[in-house]
Amino acid sequence: MQPNARSGRIAAVQAHPLAELLQCPPGTDDLLNGAAVCIEVDAGKAVFRQAENCRGLYLVVSGTFLRRAERLETRLTLGMARSGDLVELAAALGDGRHTYTLSSQTEGSVLLLPSAALNQAFAAYPPLRMRLLEELAREVSRGYDASCQSRAPKARGRSQGQPAS
Amino acid sequence: MASFHPHHPPEDCLNCEHRHLRMFCNLTPEALRDYDGIGIMMSHTRGAKLFNEGDAARNVFVICYGQVKISATSRDGKTMILKIAGPGDVMGLSAVLANVSHEVTAEAIEPCQVKTVRKQEFVDFLGRHGIASMHAAQSLSGEYLTVFHDAKRLALSGSAAGRLARLLLDWGKSSANGRPEIKFTMALTHEEIANMAGTSRETVTRLLNQFRRDQWITIKGASLTILMPDQLERLTA
Repeated sequence: MQPNARSGRIAAVQAHPLAELLQCPPGTDDLLNGAAVCIEVDAGKAVFRQAENCRGLYLVVSGTFLRRAERLETRLTLGMARSGDLVELAAALGDGRHTYTLSSQTEGSVLLLPSAALNQAFAAYPPLRMRLLEELAREVSRGYDASCQSRAPKARGRSQGQPAS
Repeated sequence: MASFHPHHPPEDCLNCEHRHLRMFCNLTPEALRDYDGIGIMMSHTRGAKLFNEGDAARNVFVICYGQVKISATSRDGKTMILKIAGPGDVMGLSAVLANVSHEVTAEAIEPCQVKTVRKQEFVDFLGRHGIASMHAAQSLSGEYLTVFHDAKRLALSGSAAGRLARLLLDWGKSSANGRPEIKFTMALTHEEIANMAGTSRETVTRLLNQFRRDQWITIKGASLTILMPDQLERLTA
């Protein structure tokens, strides 16, 4: 793909604002607000771990978090998550298992929208699921781009991939 | 990886005997009837391109049988094979939902049958059926994992032997479908496998011969059986 086309695509798949993604009618909004759980996290602590079952959708409220994949003694940092970021849409909407560990770099807090409440909200207001699906699609698209960017120069050695943004 | 009964392609979705094994098309009766009514079945010969990277995403493709190579072009112009898609896999979904051009190229590596559904028709179908959007989410999640695992495989396995072992185990796992025997059709050339494992063609040939001599795998024609998955797993550590 030509560089111009690639930069156009990157702009097109930027994450959409949280308020837009989670906008719901009052009843559904109340349901999600009522079920949301705020989790305070100390620096260095894990919010969830790779391969654990996903409890729902996480939103970063404050602080800086690291996405890390692990295999035995080896760790790979996939990227950061900051205030306003949705975390693990793939696990929350898809197979329900975390693909990486999210740990805090600084003291911070995340909001958890539990799976049960999310599913009720999807049933009550289907456009919400569609909007989150579209956001996940943009995340996948960013992942493809990051994979292409990061892989080629180091294909014969160790490479620091960054599929998640 | 492996296709099921390639000589008996399903006539339609309602009468497809393999549906319960497939992630996307295992729908409720109501959703299935609707799904059967949208899109068209298309047969493709080996080497046919279903779509190219950069093409406008106008359709979603669901593989009924056969295998399709998914590849992308890297920054320096090299072709990277990301995945071998098989029956039940959905292609082009992320580009359609993100409303961008295709991120990858899809090429049939054996004769295959693919259900092709127009973008808006597919989006409307997802909107009508919660179960279909759940399956679409799982499919996107799978696509995300493909990209994620591609990076992880290259980054977290230090040796070429480890990366090749990981590929073989991944392919074996996806074709096993609960059967104890880990056997699949290796439709890629050594050059293409080398591309996926981030190593050279010569190294792939040498390692496959080594695995065979050690009796960890057997290769008969295009069919590869993993005899000692534990040994391969150890290499990936």
